[in-house]
Amino acid sequence: MTWPERHLRLCQAMLYVAILAAWEILPRTGLLPRLFVPPLSEALGALVTDRREYLGSLPTTFGEILASYAIVCGGGILLGQLVGSSATARRMLLPVLRSAYAVPLVVLYPVMMVWFGLGSQSKIAFASIYAFVPTMLTAVAGVAALSPALGETARAFGATRAQQILYISLPASLPSIVAALRLGGALVIVGVIVAQMLGAADGLGFLITRHRTLLNSPGVYAGIVLVLLITGMHEILLRRLERRVAAYRQGA
Amino acid sequence: MSRALVAIRGVSQRFGADGGAVTALESIDLEIPNGQFVSVVGPSGCGKSTLLSLVAGLRLPSSGTVLCDGEPMAAPMPRKVGMIFQEANLLPWLSAVDNVAFPLKLRHVAKAERLAAARRMLELTGLAGFEDRLPHQLSGGMKQRVSIARGLVQNPAVLLMDEPFASLDEQTRMVLGDELLRIWSETRKTVIFVTHSLNEAVYLADRVIVLSARPGRVVDDVDVDLTRPRSFAMTAGERFGILKDRIWQHIKSAERR
Repeated sequence: MTWPERHLRLCQAMLYVAILAAWEILPRTGLLPRLFVPPLSEALGALVTDRREYLGSLPTTFGEILASYAIVCGGGILLGQLVGSSATARRMLLPVLRSAYAVPLVVLYPVMMVWFGLGSQSKIAFASIYAFVPTMLTAVAGVAALSPALGETARAFGATRAQQILYISLPASLPSIVAALRLGGALVIVGVIVAQMLGAADGLGFLITRHRTLLNSPGVYAGIVLVLLITGMHEILLRRLERRVAAYRQGA
Repeated sequence: MSRALVAIRGVSQRFGADGGAVTALESIDLEIPNGQFVSVVGPSGCGKSTLLSLVAGLRLPSSGTVLCDGEPMAAPMPRKVGMIFQEANLLPWLSAVDNVAFPLKLRHVAKAERLAAARRMLELTGLAGFEDRLPHQLSGGMKQRVSIARGLVQNPAVLLMDEPFASLDEQTRMVLGDELLRIWSETRKTVIFVTHSLNEAVYLADRVIVLSARPGRVVDDVDVDLTRPRSFAMTAGERFGILKDRIWQHIKSAERR
């Protein structure tokens, strides 16, 4: 017997509530040291008390995320489409890209700082490089999986090359584009926050690190809550987008 | 009989470079009069589909000419020749009616006009009421009906069908075969129908062209002298069996090689 959808939804909601409740209660009972995990209410309290500081860090953070997002998704998806649509380019470039994927790119961040300084450029550079290859590989896989049959059909009905791209290739690759956006966006957020934590003068990651050095756990967790909110919002938006393009999936 | 609507003259098709070149078709000569239903059969890999893509103008023959209504098929001419593929190949993000209207959209026909034409075609193929369904909401047989409607929507004189029922189950094939004959008798198209099924070939056609194994040549041109309308009972008749056997002898010897 399968559960009705609304029962599943209810259980999911209860699970979230349970996690939040545990976050509040466990530190208070002493089962978790407050220095490691302060109660949720204390983290939220710190967020409210120091709201100026946290809100002030958001423009920088969002600016860096959006700039990297534009580079990664614009460049990565465009290049992915180009590479994906040519079998020769795929065979030549995919092994190189896959090995690039295996490099722990975080080791490059100190180099980025030397090149671009402590400001936003180094964060954008790092986050872009960090997210570029996986995003592009996702786009490549999507285009490569397109069946040539639809293009052939359109050609038999007299479609020009431009019409084939506009009416066939582009809509058919929408699901892979959204998948690439979702992955690229998530990685960009990670890249920016990590870069800010490793060396910055502003931003959410910088605040988290600063409060940590001051052993101000509620302050650290206030920053973490904000990061969770940003990734959660991104996830919700992209899932919506994914549902809207579901009809474009092939073989449906 | 009127003059040949489709004329295939001295057509050969080779693939690949000189060393590893493969001859798919060799010296094909065929004249197909207006309104005739022609089946094309032959052993696997004999170039049946290649022949259709030549008539469709999807590729040019290595030598020889393909004329449709007196004009050489140098490029796809969808207003003269409609194509129906083995898989329905519908665009998954378009509703049935939009899929049928798609060839008209490519020609910039006004929206109201192309949707009206598409609706008429869906009605003709027995899909009235399913206009707004997406392909994944349709059965295999219904998808192929949409594909037939799409092939017919520009009212081409010639309908090319490349094993259109091959991926359907036996019952659906038989139903769609009868439907195709009904549509054919209502619209009087010239049909070139490629199939692997000898039953289907004889049951549907006025004439069956038998190709040899590669390189494909015409080894027999069978006149199907069964009365119309065709009925399922005919498939058990003596004449049907004789025709089928004659075709099978060619294919059997070719497949054995």
